Amino acid sequence: MKISVDYPRCEGHGLCADQAPDIFSLDDDAELTYRFEGTDVPGERQPAARAAVNACPVAALRVLS
Amino acid sequence: MPMRTEIPVYHPDLYSASAIRDTYPHYAALRELGPVVWLSKQKVYALPRYAECKQVLLDDDTFVSSGGVALNPVANRVGQGTTLFSDGEDHARRRSLLAHRLTPRALRTMKDTVDQQSAAVVEDAVARRTVDAVEVATALPMSVVPDLVGWPRQGREHLLRWAGATFDALGPLNCQAARTLPASLGMLRYARGVVRDRSALDGSMGHDLLRAADEGQIMPAECATMMIDYLAPSLDTTISAISSALYLFALHPEQWRLLKANPDLVPKAVNEVVRYESPIRAFSRTAAHDTELAGIALPKGSRVLVLYGSANRDPLEWDDPDTFDIRRDAARQLGFGQGTHGCAGQGLARMETSAILRALVERVDRIEVTGVPEWALNNVIHRLERLPLELIPA
Repeated sequence: MKISVDYPRCEGHGLCADQAPDIFSLDDDAELTYRFEGTDVPGERQPAARAAVNACPVAALRVLS
Repeated sequence: MPMRTEIPVYHPDLYSASAIRDTYPHYAALRELGPVVWLSKQKVYALPRYAECKQVLLDDDTFVSSGGVALNPVANRVGQGTTLFSDGEDHARRRSLLAHRLTPRALRTMKDTVDQQSAAVVEDAVARRTVDAVEVATALPMSVVPDLVGWPRQGREHLLRWAGATFDALGPLNCQAARTLPASLGMLRYARGVVRDRSALDGSMGHDLLRAADEGQIMPAECATMMIDYLAPSLDTTISAISSALYLFALHPEQWRLLKANPDLVPKAVNEVVRYESPIRAFSRTAAHDTELAGIALPKGSRVLVLYGSANRDPLEWDDPDTFDIRRDAARQLGFGQGTHGCAGQGLARMETSAILRALVERVDRIEVTGVPEWALNNVIHRLERLPLELIPA
């Protein structure tokens, strides 16, 4: 499972980081960092990653495949 | 291909005064009927369940806003040129003019002010002890939002009434909309005056709009509707969330004790309040081409009604949806909409509601309802009109 992040669309609400703090984090400038950029989300972290995608208020996160 | 006659039909008026005051039984009946239900009174397809609401909100290529998101042709015409009623590139351009002022990133500079004002509001309320929760809930948004949008000081006393009327006008053309029509026109007239006199406060969002018009990015005539676009939704909605929070914590003292014991639950509590008593009832979308939803054929031009308040109580999505529980993971609730048109002001709304809850947690031991709550009559906004409370100091 891969997740795409639409960085220009991200407004920094941080709901993804609340869901999966080990996968998504916001730095001091509220800029998003995604841990699995360009690679697959490991199986055991997929439920949390999906919950983060579902919580994004502006649909900046999408599950690919 | 299924015919429309196969789609379940709901005859009761979802926008009658009694349905507005007590909507949840109607939502439950609609959800029971199916994923797509024809409202014979409003002549639209209602979407009472979570999955279809979310699908429509996320598929903004198929389910467009440029035909208006209201339930009547007048508002759908008057609202043209707003961010709310636009799609694609046009929407992105309009949203980029102002929404960046409202992102959590941009709002960080306001946090201290919002915290201080929340503390003052709550201290004053606790000192009075017996209060109207709606008055308490109104104080913070009214002290924050008009300055941010840049509304001149003169005329602010009408803002709340005008904003409520603007929402009424987005429902069907019923008695309620007719009754408040003069007030919604009052807001439009006032906003046009602000643009004409260039009296938007310096450095405000309104000021940005005037500059965008000077630079030819938007039509000067659009400034007024775009100011209303941001001002109107930022008052009633947040007042709804804060007053509903007070009500829910008064009705559920065990939840209040949980929050007091663990104030880190405040952000989750905000999501749960907005899920449980969603401030916006519904907005509509139009099918841009022939399409299908939950296996039901919808011809081009079909209007679908996204029932946020019903989606957020859908048992197919939520365990015990009618139970208020701040420990629940309600982050995916649709009360702020979602996707391209997701509420641009939700960062501010979350900040305001959280700040009031934190101020209450520190100063209030118990919240008790002391009189009969009254729900406001409004076609689009779901909120209390009056709620007598006693705040027992910590």
